[in-house]
Amino acid sequence: MKRNECLEALVPHITDHLVVPGVSGQWIWGQISKRDGNLLLGSLGNALGVGLGMALGLPHRKVIVLESDGSVLLSLFNLPTLGTLNPANLVVFVFDNEAYSGSRISRPTATAAKTDLAAIAKDAGVSYAVTVRDIDAFKREAALAVKENGLRFIVVKVEETFEHRKAERSDVDLLESKYRFVRYIEKTEGIKVFRGRG
Amino acid sequence: MNQDLAKKTVEQLQKAGIDFITYLPETRLSGILPLLEAQSSFQLVAVASEAEAITIASGAALVGKQSACYMEGTGLFVCSYNLLTVSVRLGIPLLLLISYVGSFADHRNSFRFAPTGIKTEAQLKALNIEYQVLVHSDDIETKTAEAVRMMHALKQPVALLFTGDFTT
Repeated sequence: MKRNECLEALVPHITDHLVVPGVSGQWIWGQISKRDGNLLLGSLGNALGVGLGMALGLPHRKVIVLESDGSVLLSLFNLPTLGTLNPANLVVFVFDNEAYSGSRISRPTATAAKTDLAAIAKDAGVSYAVTVRDIDAFKREAALAVKENGLRFIVVKVEETFEHRKAERSDVDLLESKYRFVRYIEKTEGIKVFRGRG
Repeated sequence: MNQDLAKKTVEQLQKAGIDFITYLPETRLSGILPLLEAQSSFQLVAVASEAEAITIASGAALVGKQSACYMEGTGLFVCSYNLLTVSVRLGIPLLLLISYVGSFADHRNSFRFAPTGIKTEAQLKALNIEYQVLVHSDDIETKTAEAVRMMHALKQPVALLFTGDFTT
């Protein structure tokens, strides 16, 4: 199973969701899902925390985080917090290729050996934490996760692929992505996010 | 921090519009926690690391919350990566409530705190984060509101460093 086919299968389910892609798949996601409800972060170890903050701040909106094994391993402290807070409007997909493929020398991550991220999440208190290993299982889990209420942590075992290295980089930088996202929130929620004067 | 000052601090946070606070408990300002919990206007989020105090508060700020992060001074070093790569880089207004452990006016200063404490302001400067130091109890009346105004004006994290009267 390839990450890109998973992302393509996820796109039709996205409506008014808030999506936070981590570094993994950010360029591909930006190409196949052009919408202001995506927030580009461009850094490792941050997407899960930022998505969790959004889910807590807007409990009636579904938030979808697209993470990777290396990024989650960098911020494992998120998992006990996630399990404790248990936000019903958050879905976390972890695309686990078992490698630091961004490094270009493809060193294995701990998930290539014995580390099981779904098991860690479960032991941290996330009651729905599963691993999927084929595209049909991913499609089933994705459809349910987006539709149903409840925190879901879905580890998606994918092949290591290199399409992202050739993917066109976005000409929307992090600041523009933030403003687009914030204006989208303001428009869809009817609230003011940034103040002109504190 | 005595009970009156803790009460005043919480009142000023409320007055300034702060409504979402991530925190990791520490010693100097801990008196504010039960008071924050008692106020329904604050959404309090206990975290496992100052790193996620920053990312969670940043996410909440992007969807309309007036966010603050409460931590010990040493936590600033833990979360510097997240401040730099998320809040500073994207430009997200956050109020950092930092107990300035190991500073000159820290009443409980010791060998445990001073070596990191003396680096705190240099670290904030390196991160390009504006800050104010609160030493006297009266400082709380003006500096909280000023810091919140500044964080919105800059669209950046702004820090309040609590020492002196706040560390008794």
